[in-house]
Amino acid sequence: MVIIGENIHVIAQAVSTAIREKDAKVIQDLAKAQAEAGADYIDLNVGPMKKDPEENMQWLVSTVQEVTDLLLSIDTMNPVAMEAGLKACQKRPLLNSASGKTDSKEQMLPLAQKYNCDVVISVMTDKGMPPDVDSKIESIMDTVAYANELGIPNEDIWVDPIILPVSTAGEGQRFAVACLEFIKILEDVLPGIKSTVGLSNVSNGVPNELRPLLNRTYMIMLDRNGLYSAIADPLDKEFMDLVKGKMPEIVELVYKTMDGEDIDLSPLSQKEVEYVKTAKVLTGENLYSDAWLES
Amino acid sequence: MEYKAPAESYTGVVREITIGKGKKSLKIGGENILPFHFFDQGSNPNPVKFALEVLDMEPQDWPEHLIQPFRDVIDDPVKWAKKCEELGADAVFLRLVSTDPAVKDSSADEAAALAKKVAEAINIPLIIYGSGDDKKDAEVLPKVAEACDDMNLLIGPVQKENYEIVGRALLDHGHNASALSPLDINLLKELNVKLCKFFPAEKIVIDPESAALGYGMEYSFSLMERVKQIGIITKDNMTMMPIIADLGGECWKTKQAKENKEQGLLWEGITALSLLLAGADILILRHPDTVSLVKETTEVK
Repeated sequence: MVIIGENIHVIAQAVSTAIREKDAKVIQDLAKAQAEAGADYIDLNVGPMKKDPEENMQWLVSTVQEVTDLLLSIDTMNPVAMEAGLKACQKRPLLNSASGKTDSKEQMLPLAQKYNCDVVISVMTDKGMPPDVDSKIESIMDTVAYANELGIPNEDIWVDPIILPVSTAGEGQRFAVACLEFIKILEDVLPGIKSTVGLSNVSNGVPNELRPLLNRTYMIMLDRNGLYSAIADPLDKEFMDLVKGKMPEIVELVYKTMDGEDIDLSPLSQKEVEYVKTAKVLTGENLYSDAWLES
Repeated sequence: MEYKAPAESYTGVVREITIGKGKKSLKIGGENILPFHFFDQGSNPNPVKFALEVLDMEPQDWPEHLIQPFRDVIDDPVKWAKKCEELGADAVFLRLVSTDPAVKDSSADEAAALAKKVAEAINIPLIIYGSGDDKKDAEVLPKVAEACDDMNLLIGPVQKENYEIVGRALLDHGHNASALSPLDINLLKELNVKLCKFFPAEKIVIDPESAALGYGMEYSFSLMERVKQIGIITKDNMTMMPIIADLGGECWKTKQAKENKEQGLLWEGITALSLLLAGADILILRHPDTVSLVKETTEVK
């Protein structure tokens, strides 16, 4: 799976300060650490970048390119910042992201065409977030058709079904299951298309120490269903070990859980039990609570 | 060809819980069908129970038409509780509202003494709730549990913030626990998981928080429905407990219920009926006429 490193993110206080004060070291350290950890792309998530978007984005892109030759994902909803970022990239960038919203169709998708880059397109539309698998498929087919007409081929499009927190009262697990299903059927409805997710969002709102386990398990499940890439934390070593195929027993166990096999927990290690319990929450088999490992 | 209606059968069974002892006891839960699904395979051995609410002090904001049935006894919780028994309640629900620091901040000892007096005076089971202030309840409820030692009452609300101290006291003195969480199925399950580490699941009642008609009742409805379905259909060990719907207070707070008696009865009655359909096993009501109204509506004559 292609991993887009998420750690240069403006929500992190250190990153936002570094961009404001043009402190190259903080940014470069994060970029290097992610590259060393095995990321394939570095995401540059700058949010709306209201202030000096062109100058700031140019600085950020060249600062990162000074220390790594990894591909870059330009992550902003500001079209001016986006264009500046795409222009500054030495290698073929990933535009992150466009959607089926009118604004995005008019301002972001043409940029993807103009700079001949890969583009993330989410299932969002002017009507908001499509709630179930059918409506997600329907809206992404519309937006992809629109992008095709602009001259962007399926092969350059990375579809994002939008992952929501599994802990959202009552609904979260339904969403988690819907995204799994969406990824599974995507290739059949849009041949040649790629996919990506903002993986860590699945564990938003969950106690911090438990988040990586949800992210890792969900990655295994999505990967099995054909997910092409994920925006995730490459600094989580166990996560990267799983991605690189170094933990086949755990993967096998998660697959069995997905298949509804009756798994005897007694001979398993604590870690294995935790993966099984987590997978059962993500398939919707067990009702989520913050104490899901304890019951 | 003869038509045979399809009948579902389920794997989950709600735990049956006894409140009180001997002649002063009742059972709730025990069902292995969804609410009112008498056409499916299974049964509900314990039809819904109705408790009438008594406060430990004279009510401050009750409308005249709600006070009226208790006019002579409203300043004496013991007599008030006996009146509820006369009026046909299955249980008395005593709310220790005066212990709330924002009300009278009355002491845990006073509350415990009163709880014991009420429990001894009536011939029906007693349910006791603290004020809901989690810190004060952590002082009050253990004293109450001790004063009513070994009476097997239902005591609450046990909340995320005080479940350890309150839960231990209830366990030590042989009571059932009513576990309250704020309208969220994930938090509700979490509380039960944590409580069950030292407290028997067979003695827990779920209070998912009940909102009144027009004031968020649909949230309580969907939540109770889901708790019941996840218990009965998917057999989730941590939701197979009976549900208490503490709704009277919520209903009589509304301006609609305060306006006139008929409207008040309907407000409380419709909320009660809705939450019964969602899966409540015991209802806490304030007006005795609502009890008759809901009984009349739900009992097959």
